[in-house]
Amino acid sequence: MSASIPRITPATAIAVVFVLSVIAPGAVSAQSSTAPVDLVIKNATVMTASHGTIQHGSVWLHNGKIAGVGATVSAPAGATVVDATGKYVTPGVIDPHSHSALGDDVNEATSPVTPSMMMIDAFDNRDKALYQALAGGVTSELLLHGSANMIGGQAVVIKNKFGLSKEEMLFPNAPRSIKFASGENPKRVYGTRNQLPSTRMGNFEVMRQAFEDAKVYRKEWDDYNARIAKGDKDARMPHRDLKLEALADILRGKLLVQIHCYRADEFLTEEAIAQEYGFKIRAFHHALEMYKVGGKIAADGTGIATFTDWYGGKYEMWDGIPWNAVMSMREGVRVALKSDSNDHIRRLNQEAGKMVHYGGATEDEAIAMITLNPAWIMGIDDNTGSLDAGKDGDVVIWNMDPLSTYARAEKVYIDGDLFFDSSLPGFGTTHFSGVMHGSGFGAGEDDDEDQGEN
Amino acid sequence: MLRNLFLGRSASVRRLVIAGSLISGLVGVAGVMAQAPMVDITPAPGTIAITGGKLLTITHGVIENGVVLIEGGKITAVGTAASVKVPKGATIVDAKGMTVYPGLIDAETRIGLQEIASDRTTNDTVEPSDEILPQMHVYDAFHSESEHIPITRFNGITNAIVAPASTDTIPGQDSFIQLAGRDRDTMLMVRDVALAMNFGEAPKRGGRGEGAAAGGARYPSTRMGEISQMRQALLDAQEYMARRSRPAAGGEEGAAPAASGGRGGAGGAGGSAFSLRNEALIPYLKGEKPVVLGAYDGHDVETAMEFAKEFHLKVILSHVTKAQDVLDKIASYHVPVIVGPIFDMPEANERYDAVYRIPGELQKRGVKVILASYNVSNSRNLPYSAGFAVAYGMPYDEAMKSITLNPAEAFGMGDKLGSLDVGKIANVVIANGDPLDVRTNVKQVYINGVAIPMETRQTRLRDEYWPKK
Repeated sequence: MSASIPRITPATAIAVVFVLSVIAPGAVSAQSSTAPVDLVIKNATVMTASHGTIQHGSVWLHNGKIAGVGATVSAPAGATVVDATGKYVTPGVIDPHSHSALGDDVNEATSPVTPSMMMIDAFDNRDKALYQALAGGVTSELLLHGSANMIGGQAVVIKNKFGLSKEEMLFPNAPRSIKFASGENPKRVYGTRNQLPSTRMGNFEVMRQAFEDAKVYRKEWDDYNARIAKGDKDARMPHRDLKLEALADILRGKLLVQIHCYRADEFLTEEAIAQEYGFKIRAFHHALEMYKVGGKIAADGTGIATFTDWYGGKYEMWDGIPWNAVMSMREGVRVALKSDSNDHIRRLNQEAGKMVHYGGATEDEAIAMITLNPAWIMGIDDNTGSLDAGKDGDVVIWNMDPLSTYARAEKVYIDGDLFFDSSLPGFGTTHFSGVMHGSGFGAGEDDDEDQGEN
Repeated sequence: MLRNLFLGRSASVRRLVIAGSLISGLVGVAGVMAQAPMVDITPAPGTIAITGGKLLTITHGVIENGVVLIEGGKITAVGTAASVKVPKGATIVDAKGMTVYPGLIDAETRIGLQEIASDRTTNDTVEPSDEILPQMHVYDAFHSESEHIPITRFNGITNAIVAPASTDTIPGQDSFIQLAGRDRDTMLMVRDVALAMNFGEAPKRGGRGEGAAAGGARYPSTRMGEISQMRQALLDAQEYMARRSRPAAGGEEGAAPAASGGRGGAGGAGGSAFSLRNEALIPYLKGEKPVVLGAYDGHDVETAMEFAKEFHLKVILSHVTKAQDVLDKIASYHVPVIVGPIFDMPEANERYDAVYRIPGELQKRGVKVILASYNVSNSRNLPYSAGFAVAYGMPYDEAMKSITLNPAEAFGMGDKLGSLDVGKIANVVIANGDPLDVRTNVKQVYINGVAIPMETRQTRLRDEYWPKK
């Protein structure tokens, strides 16, 4: 990961602590790690996501981190050994576009610019969707605001330690991400109320105006801080506005910008606006037409988080083709697959398998699309996303090649600790023994991204 | 001779599909509105021999290095290379290393009723103006040029039961579709194949049901209302039927029933007036055709089955994804069951695989299990539903049956479709591996013995933009 990616700043850390402090203590049993000091998974087909596949390989976890990966590892004699003969091992699956565990609080659809919305405020750590994703091998998720607003809210990055407390499920020191949208959704939401924006012109005008306002705000604060730094005791602190502060942080490059966007022309407009205001776009989400302009977008360093084979839900999805991911990858775009759905998050490994079918991705490339590449999109690829020494012990043992239709996650480790074991009775969870919450009606979906019937 | 299925069709196969290719060549990619090229499925003279493949016959096991002969749109021989003689002059399709199986059948889709989900003008999925509408016929709306059709058959699905959406208690009658044909009528294998009936949450007016959009609760807004209204409708139809079969001289003949249960009641305009609604129900009240009862929860399944018993309906159960508590009872009904979507979410505090396991659990109890997509653009993923059923306990052969022979039999087409057997319609698929695996590519689809161009709106976009490196 590049050094320029911001981590949580002291100011936001304070905000996060404040949020956490209002959570009722003991709401969920807050157990500390039960991970063994040393754990070795042996005799497996190890798909590393970063450096190929190792037959009859081993993965050694020490104090929750990956300590060694290879044909042999130098774990101490007393290590706990898991014999994975005939099984496959991958990094934990990472979903860079989820609305799970947010109830029906996905969209603050009352204004097209709402960057001060913090998704952590809606996060329900007992939502069954987290458990169902865990059973599908998902160890980290980016929980995003919906697509009603051109500039939505700030995401929460979780480790899927189902059964632990809300604060223990937060990904430590993960960069901040913010959700933008474009196209049909914002113009539909506001247009049907006869408000701005009701066209794509309106969409981008709203966005540009927001950044113009943010430039003024940033300058006020920059000037103030410069005077304070010079010891000017007469400097008067400007008004603090949460919305403008968040926008200014985008201009300062402190947020990873994640943009819901389907059409090729809109990728180009978004990149031009980003360039004009001096920020980078981390990834286009959905991005069904990236195959048309992949080369250009690859040059901008923007990745994509895409569906495999969804199309037809609306006009901007009409040119979606299942070869998009592989074609974009061949053009140099960093490609991740994502769920945007409480259903598909349970089977992202099979979605990756489709990439072998549609365009001929190698199995290693397909695995990277649900592990290392989404980790990069979320800015956590220094910590997780591949089986490399020094990374977090986020590991899945599968009954067979995870790209097969018949694959099932058997054991899921997060930070070296076992959180799911399908051989256990009941839920198969190791840290959860309470009562799960339903996801709510239509939850986990971002309104019309759901193309399902019934 | 078609030597390499990976590289496309050889001249000899192209000859068979020349009509389709010519038409498709005229259609550009740019248009947004759907007009997929039609494909003539009139078989050319001569024999096609698919040789060397692994045959999944469905009815009589797996045949390695098998041969399928096709002539006049029908399967004329199936067997090992040693046992089937390939006639001279046959077009030989080399399927060495390939898997050959009957075309898949999606037992419930909305293909042809919806093009773009968000655009109402391209949606004819259900008529929401009334609740009891057996006189609605899917074939009146079925859009045979839908772009979803080539995209679906591209993955080996050759037939579909197209049903109206489930937001009316009785939304209309399903059609059995051949997913290729020169025109709509060729594609309609059975116009009215079954009657859709829905129970529980979806058809309610008011609350969460579709009717809520119409503003406020109206009848029927509860399960009681649904059943009462349906019961009245079927009683009215029975009365209508009895009156029509009685000799014309009868004194009471022609009198309108007292209570008709609302709009479109028994006689409509009263008396002996011809009633489209009642007429539509007659074959189902006589048990001549099946009703598809849609119910998710165990108690709704029980209610639906009691209702069906009351009127002696011939039943196919559908959904049952929240009915884990009554699996034994479902088995005791001895009716075919369409399970799904298998990707329905388990409830809170259920095990993660509670729904994935239902097909296998029902099959184990002797139920004829069918899987369906219940979708439009996702219909192409039907084989993966069967794959999930296998991953969670269903034997592979039974899972293949659930998307081939079982739906064919349940909808009265078992003698024509669903297996590689002599005399059946030659809907045959050649793929480069296990059809249920997400990594497998379908290489060639035959419908009515005609090689269908493996081309869709999506392949044309793919080919136009494929990276040139």
